Amino acid sequence: MAKKKRPMLKIFIIFFVVEALLVVLSGNFSKQIQIGFDKGKFVIRHVEFEYNLQNKITEEFQIDEYFRQTGETPEIYGSEKLYEFFKKVFGEKSAIGSFQLLRMLLIVDLLLLFVALSIRKKLFGRPSKPQILFEMIYTSLEQFVSETLGKDKVSYTPYIVTLFIFIWVSNMIGLIPIPGFMEPTRNLNVPLGLGVFVVAIVHITAIKVKGLWGHLKNYINPVKNPLFLLDIVGEMSKVVSISFRLFGNILGGAIIILVVSSLVNFVVLPIGLSMFFGIFVGTIQAFVFTMLALTYIGVEIVE
Amino acid sequence: MDLAQGIVKAAALLGAGLCMGMGALGPGVGEGFVAGKACEGIARSPENASLITRTMLVGQAVSESTGIYSLVISLLLIFST
Repeated sequence: MAKKKRPMLKIFIIFFVVEALLVVLSGNFSKQIQIGFDKGKFVIRHVEFEYNLQNKITEEFQIDEYFRQTGETPEIYGSEKLYEFFKKVFGEKSAIGSFQLLRMLLIVDLLLLFVALSIRKKLFGRPSKPQILFEMIYTSLEQFVSETLGKDKVSYTPYIVTLFIFIWVSNMIGLIPIPGFMEPTRNLNVPLGLGVFVVAIVHITAIKVKGLWGHLKNYINPVKNPLFLLDIVGEMSKVVSISFRLFGNILGGAIIILVVSSLVNFVVLPIGLSMFFGIFVGTIQAFVFTMLALTYIGVEIVE
Repeated sequence: MDLAQGIVKAAALLGAGLCMGMGALGPGVGEGFVAGKACEGIARSPENASLITRTMLVGQAVSESTGIYSLVISLLLIFST
């Protein structure tokens, strides 16, 4: 056990050595070390190229626009059949972006499924470490739910926990340095879908609690509530506010990381930026999204 | 790029800068206010520090959203014109 005393220290030392090597080797601005995966192989290359921030941003954040401008054949699919299929399903315009988004969503979902199944397999007997971690997450969120909605409404906990873990893993997966990996929440469609579902669940809850007429009475009663149209607009703005907050935070963080790290020639600073914009902001935003969903549901129940 | 396009691009960039600058004013004031109040609360009752910090972070993230909207708008102005 004496060897396992400080595992983090070793990792930090390795990071610093690699970063120092990068500092020494990439002193020339027109040359750059490229480390990454290319067609399944791990490569370290010394490439010479003209770095263009505008092109890089377009490639990173508007990939369909990039391929439309450059006219390159998308090699991202791996096979021609898949490309034809996606073109047929999503149309000419958004084939590549949709493919990337769906691939990342699939990776996140498979990861969650794998973790869930592998923990579930040895659920009985002596609890393992990951089981304790997930039980801690579940119990703390269950406590929030019972504080907000009341003791008899803890049946909302699985939805809340799923929302939190899904958004958290989605925010974290962009930290993995593989080309083509991006946060699914960086695309507006994912937070918008989550937000629409949150508001749908809010209204289903309200109908369950007050009855259909009791819920609709608040909206279509001009005598009691003369500004009822504004209430309907307010329901729409719930979706926009909850989803744009997540989307804007993740996208803004990604763009700031890209711009600032291109200013320092991709040396040392990106790790610190990823610590803040990836880990801290990602966790806080996942938590805020969950808490807001809980609050929206709570408002309808408590009234 | 002819003159009209150039003028549109310049106006969009100027608007993006103004949008971000003015949009950052409100969230800055709001988050600072929340943090100050949280400090007061922690000084008054240090045993509730974790609860106050959690509430403060959530409130700050909510009050930050107007700044995030202006960020989205300025990104749209920069990259889509």
